[in-house]
Amino acid sequence: MPFTITAPAPPVPIAYNGPSDSDSADSEGDIDMGPPSKRARLSTKSIVTPGEIVTDDPQWMRGHGTYTSPLTSAILSSVSGTLQKTNKLLSIAPLRARYTPEIGDLVVGRIVEVQTKRWKVDLSAPLLAHLPLSAINLPGGILRKRTSTDELAIRSFFSEGDLLVAEVQSMYQDGAASLHTRSLKYGKLRNGVFLAVSGTGGGGGVVRARRQVWTVLTGNGGGEVDMVLGVNGYIWICKHSRGELVEGKGGAQVSIMRIEDVVGESMYSNRNDEIGPATRREIARLSGVVRALVERGVRVDEEMVMRGYEASLEGEETDYEYGEAGGENGEYLGGERGKRVVETALAAVHAARG
Amino acid sequence: MPLDTSTYHLSLLRLDGRRWNELRRLHAQISTQASADGSSYLEMGNTKIICTVSGPAEIRGGGRREGVERDNAVVNVEVGVAGFSGMDRKRRRGDKRTTEMQNTIASAFTSTLFTHLYPHSTISINLHILSQDGSLLAVCLNAATLALIDAGVPMKDYIVACTSGLTPPASTLGGSRGGNSETSDPLLDLNGMEEQELPFLTGAGGTVGGDVGGGGGWV
Amino acid sequence: MAPTAQPTILSPSELSYLYTSLSLNPPIRPDARSPTSFRPLVAETDLLPTANGSARLCFADGTEAIVGVKGEVERTGGVGKQIGIREDDVEMGGIEGEEGTGGAGGEDWWVEVTVDMPGQRDDDAMVVFLAQMIHEGLVADGGLRARLVINRRWHWRLYIDILLLSPPHTYPLPLLSLTAHLALLSTCLPAPVAGLEKDDDPIFNDDWDAAIPLYPSTPPSSKAKANLSAARPPITLLVISVGDNIFFDPSHAELAVADAVVAVTVASSPSSTDDLNLLAVRTIDPPSRLSSSAAEMGQAVEEGAWKPKKGGMSRTVLRKMVGMCVARGGVGEEVLGGLEGFT
Repeated sequence: MPFTITAPAPPVPIAYNGPSDSDSADSEGDIDMGPPSKRARLSTKSIVTPGEIVTDDPQWMRGHGTYTSPLTSAILSSVSGTLQKTNKLLSIAPLRARYTPEIGDLVVGRIVEVQTKRWKVDLSAPLLAHLPLSAINLPGGILRKRTSTDELAIRSFFSEGDLLVAEVQSMYQDGAASLHTRSLKYGKLRNGVFLAVSGTGGGGGVVRARRQVWTVLTGNGGGEVDMVLGVNGYIWICKHSRGELVEGKGGAQVSIMRIEDVVGESMYSNRNDEIGPATRREIARLSGVVRALVERGVRVDEEMVMRGYEASLEGEETDYEYGEAGGENGEYLGGERGKRVVETALAAVHAARG
Repeated sequence: MPLDTSTYHLSLLRLDGRRWNELRRLHAQISTQASADGSSYLEMGNTKIICTVSGPAEIRGGGRREGVERDNAVVNVEVGVAGFSGMDRKRRRGDKRTTEMQNTIASAFTSTLFTHLYPHSTISINLHILSQDGSLLAVCLNAATLALIDAGVPMKDYIVACTSGLTPPASTLGGSRGGNSETSDPLLDLNGMEEQELPFLTGAGGTVGGDVGGGGGWV
Repeated sequence: MAPTAQPTILSPSELSYLYTSLSLNPPIRPDARSPTSFRPLVAETDLLPTANGSARLCFADGTEAIVGVKGEVERTGGVGKQIGIREDDVEMGGIEGEEGTGGAGGEDWWVEVTVDMPGQRDDDAMVVFLAQMIHEGLVADGGLRARLVINRRWHWRLYIDILLLSPPHTYPLPLLSLTAHLALLSTCLPAPVAGLEKDDDPIFNDDWDAAIPLYPSTPPSSKAKANLSAARPPITLLVISVGDNIFFDPSHAELAVADAVVAVTVASSPSSTDDLNLLAVRTIDPPSRLSSSAAEMGQAVEEGAWKPKKGGMSRTVLRKMVGMCVARGGVGEEVLGGLEGFT
């Protein structure tokens, strides 16, 4: 149906894994808001909220999402989220938050500002990231010092609005990330579509995974399509080209001597390759799968995307049998249809894990 | 029409049937808006507020003009009172009361959020008052707390707020039914009508330290 | 020309990919929707106790709006006229012809629309333009203002306050218009006490349950009366064209490559066999024009990169757009039906 309108869904109660605290409400119906200081040495609740004492045992060290008050030795939570213990380090992973960059993250970003020797890149993090001119590959591949000529031509590499895939190389004192694209798997993005979902830390979004970049062999004659899941929640889906983007496909292994041959002028080109309608359709379907996953708060990673994609292909076949439903709306995965696809995908993941 | 405040004696019921220490019905929801970093909807009786939080984020090209490197995040608060929120339709924007509320809320959260974690960025809190029936500042503070938690902005503690009012001493009412007590009686969570008649104070604070200086004032 | 929302700049390759996909035959939208289909909406009505009617609507991209409708009784003629002098009354009143009579038709300024956007000033060009565009749509067919007449000396004044709760990701016109439509559908005005003479001061029944809906829903049986009461508030749809293709409910990215952006206002027609009534068509400056300036400022445009179209839109495309909106069984009817089915 082309036009659907629904009433807001009732709020979904957060599922606690640990013991429920719901009976702490007293007889008058007031909820006991006091700090649960009398409880066990280490809070057993799976979700803590700001100001809550996580532990008053001095043996623990405080990590992200916690603080200590000067009056006591207790460690308190500063965000609402789940408690994580790494050896003696306590940290709270927030249920939902902006992306916080970490060294080594593969991110997709958009240039928002061009300065004399660097670009400012939007990663949907609290601060814009920096990409220094010295941290990119120059066309021609020559490894040399950056000259003032390069500075003048800075917009010929990246200018405002351009998308790129990069790695977080280091962090500044203030929390801003410094990026680099000094590898053939990084660089400017072409031949595809951009999609923004919430990044890691948000419930349902891109999660840090073993593989953030992979190639999908699509159905319906769509050929090979690359998926780039930036840890920051920015996603790029594009036609696969010459294995540059994909790890282990020769791209990374190009020796320093041959770099000149590979890094051509096309590296910073804004022009797209020839992309057939079948490929474009499958790219749209993949982005629909991601959107459907996000709408239902399911994590976005290789496994879920692939299961979802398979489910959407199957779903289409059944829809065609029912007649106009498939023909009318094409591959659109909104509303009911998206829900079905996500449910099928979740069931498949479940089955695969036994 | 003056309110008959003599009925506020501790043992009696208020106009809306509550006892002196009873709050109105509270309904709260978080993550109400997909496109915001954090959002909440809070109802206290007939006061209804939607709060959205965006950030912490760097304002592009913005902070630079001030010429100062900021070591802390700036908390920006905007309170919008919808034209349809009161009994009579009127537009108010940027009037004194709203501005005062904005400043109070901003200073309250500046002191409780860990702004030092986000240098030169901005946390914007947008409050939309959809329906007003007293305790505006308190509900705004509570709604903002929820939205900020939803946005995952680290903070020392919840800021929770409530209004409390005082009935005039019964003796000043010319010996009406209130009895002959000389003391004033406290009331919690005033509604719009009570707010117009009684002196009241909005108190805000946290649950742990109690060191959060919330805004208060006689109105 | 309306200024459009400040968009995130897209990269040249994204723009070119989008444009090519959208101008294919059949076109491929980035989310694989069909050209005429809308993203699913989430809505609720009657959520505010202090307003005569209210609605909240969320689009799939997370943009959200709340509309509250409030009515006030006002004296027609002398007093009202003096209060109501605003800049746009001068021209609007002129069209009316019979000034001060407050005849059966009502007057345009009885309906007041304001738009509030976070972080935007009240006199921001986009805010003013949006409010004006929605106001124009609502009063264009005279149906709404005629409903506001109480008697010869009194009328309702309707304040429609539109609140955009989210930053304007896409051009918010359709969101605001549909929300206003839902709010008007849910609006009830107090019922006058029976036996009112023509010039009496109106006295109202204070029982809210007895209030009369501004747009009464039609009982399915009474087909004879359907003509009058089936009328619905007009809606404004945003339509874009890319090449020869026409798209409804464009997303932010689609707007960025649109050749032409048009706001079409339609209302249901009195008879059930005709097309919908076309009330207004307005062109909106597509954001692609804004991004083109960078390319023209001496920056070399690469061969093969997408360039925004120059010049106006062709009459054939415009005719096709309007046709798709108003046709029986067309998009306009579908949207009106969907909104009505919801309340």
